[in-house]
Amino acid sequence: MKYILMMNTMKSGHGVPSWPKKDLQAHIAFMIGLNKELHERGELVSAEGLSFPDQAKLVCAGKDGRPITDGVFPESKEFLAGFWIIDVDSPQRAYEIAAKASAAPGPGGVPLNMPIEVRQVMSGPPPDML
Amino acid sequence: MKYILLMSGTRAGVEAYHASPKQDINAHMAVLHRINQDLAESGEFVATQRLTEPKEAKVVRGEKNGLPVTDGIFPESKEFLLGYWIVDVPNAERAYAIAGRISAASVNMPIEVRQFATYEAKSR
Repeated sequence: MKYILMMNTMKSGHGVPSWPKKDLQAHIAFMIGLNKELHERGELVSAEGLSFPDQAKLVCAGKDGRPITDGVFPESKEFLAGFWIIDVDSPQRAYEIAAKASAAPGPGGVPLNMPIEVRQVMSGPPPDML
Repeated sequence: MKYILLMSGTRAGVEAYHASPKQDINAHMAVLHRINQDLAESGEFVATQRLTEPKEAKVVRGEKNGLPVTDGIFPESKEFLLGYWIVDVPNAERAYAIAGRISAASVNMPIEVRQFATYEAKSR
């Protein structure tokens, strides 16, 4: 069963966090360690970090089909900071991994305990839709 | 340059979509399928995924003891990720053009476009 774990933690206008360098390094080291562990267990499908919200664009098609881009978002909008796709035996295992990612160290090495949204990934559209 | 194109919607929006005529859903799926084929042919396709319904989403936090705490209650206004495309393109304008095409196929829904962070903070 494939699941996506999403860090929807950032708000509009957010750039690189202004944490002390050693705290950022500890956070990144934790993430590298987590990805390595998931890879060794054969559970990691992919993991990506996204560029910061200040570079995000919203695109709609105009009437002529051309893209119209906009970079203005509501202040309350939550942005995806990064995600993992994992292939695990049960939802419980997906929740365990999400909890581990949730507890990644933040400023001063204190666990962030950030919320991680967990969603199952569909294997494809229903056959009658193809 | 890799970009992710994110399609999001609310729970009410997803329910309205499922209540629409089957032929409209089929036509929508056919256009998305065509876009995927075109991206594969141009070598720009990396991945696409659709997620299960928002009603099956959970939010997880680590407790102090490291155990997961799950919750399935979200604000009604929350936009859920419905699916995404990852594309590998020469510039941002090309990513916007693809997002525009997906938007046009999907009742002009806004598509969020984000570049992948380039630092290698990961191990595969």
